[in-house]
Amino acid sequence: MLEDDLTVTTRDQDGVAIIDLVGDVTTFAEDKINNAYREVTNTGARFVLLNFRQNDYINSAGIAILIGIVTEVNRNNQKLAVSGLSQHFQKIFRMVGLAQYADIYQTEEEALSGFDRFRG
Amino acid sequence: MTASPATTMSMELTLPNQLGYELIARDAIAAFARRLGMPMDRVDDMKTALCEACINAIEHGNLLNPDLRVHILCHVDAERFVIEVYDQGLRRFVPPSSLPNIADKLNGTGSLRGMGLLLISQLSDESGFVPRDEAGNCFRFAFQRSGAAHGCR
Repeated sequence: MLEDDLTVTTRDQDGVAIIDLVGDVTTFAEDKINNAYREVTNTGARFVLLNFRQNDYINSAGIAILIGIVTEVNRNNQKLAVSGLSQHFQKIFRMVGLAQYADIYQTEEEALSGFDRFRG
Repeated sequence: MTASPATTMSMELTLPNQLGYELIARDAIAAFARRLGMPMDRVDDMKTALCEACINAIEHGNLLNPDLRVHILCHVDAERFVIEVYDQGLRRFVPPSSLPNIADKLNGTGSLRGMGLLLISQLSDESGFVPRDEAGNCFRFAFQRSGAAHGCR
C-alpha cells in the first residue's frame, strides 16, 4: 500500500547539498534516501540538509533509515541538518536521539544559515 | 462506534496483516479521538503510537503472514482512551532487556530498527504487553483524556 509514496530529489544551494523528502518516510524509502545521500556524497558534499515536506507519516522504520544516514555522515566527516518537520515529528526526532546528531530547523532558510558557523 | 449507559465508548477494527494498513487504522482512530475532544497534539501522539503498535503486530507477531489479521480494540471512558492491538501470535513477543539507544545503533552494536516500543512508551501515558493464555500478543496503550500536552520526556 505504501511502496511509492515518497519523492526524493537533490539540489545544491550555497554549498549545501539539499535532499528534499516529499511524502511518507517508511521502510519503503530506504533505497531512495540512501541513493540520494550517496549521490551528494559522491559529489563531495560537506554539508547535507534533509529537507522534509508534506510528511504525514514517518515511522520507526523510516527513522532507522535516517539513523543509517547519520552513521554515514559521521564516517564521512560531514555536517547534517534537518528542516521542514512538523512540531510532532521534531518531537519524535528528539525522543529517539536524532537531535543529538543533526541540528533541527523549522525552515530550509534557517538551516542554510545554520551551516555558516561550520564554514572556515 | 458503540456507547453503553456507563458512558464507555468503543470501536473495533480488523486489518489485513500487511504493512500500510496501519494508516487506515490510524485515520479511523484519529477521527474517533478528535470527535471525543482529544487535543490535536495528543491525537498526533496517538497516531504515531498506533502505527508503531500495528507494525510490531504485523512484522513481529504475525511475521508478515498475509493470511493473518490484526485486531484493534479501542475503548474510552471519562478518564482514559485505551487502545489494544492484537495479533495472531505466530511468535510470542519477548520484551527487550533494555530500551534501544541511538549511540549503540550508531556504533554498530545495536540494530537500526527497534525504536517502535520506545516511541509508544514515550508518547502514551501507559503501555505494555498484556499477558494472555491464548495464542497471540496483545499490546495495550492508553492516553489520559485530560489531555495535557506531552513534551519530550
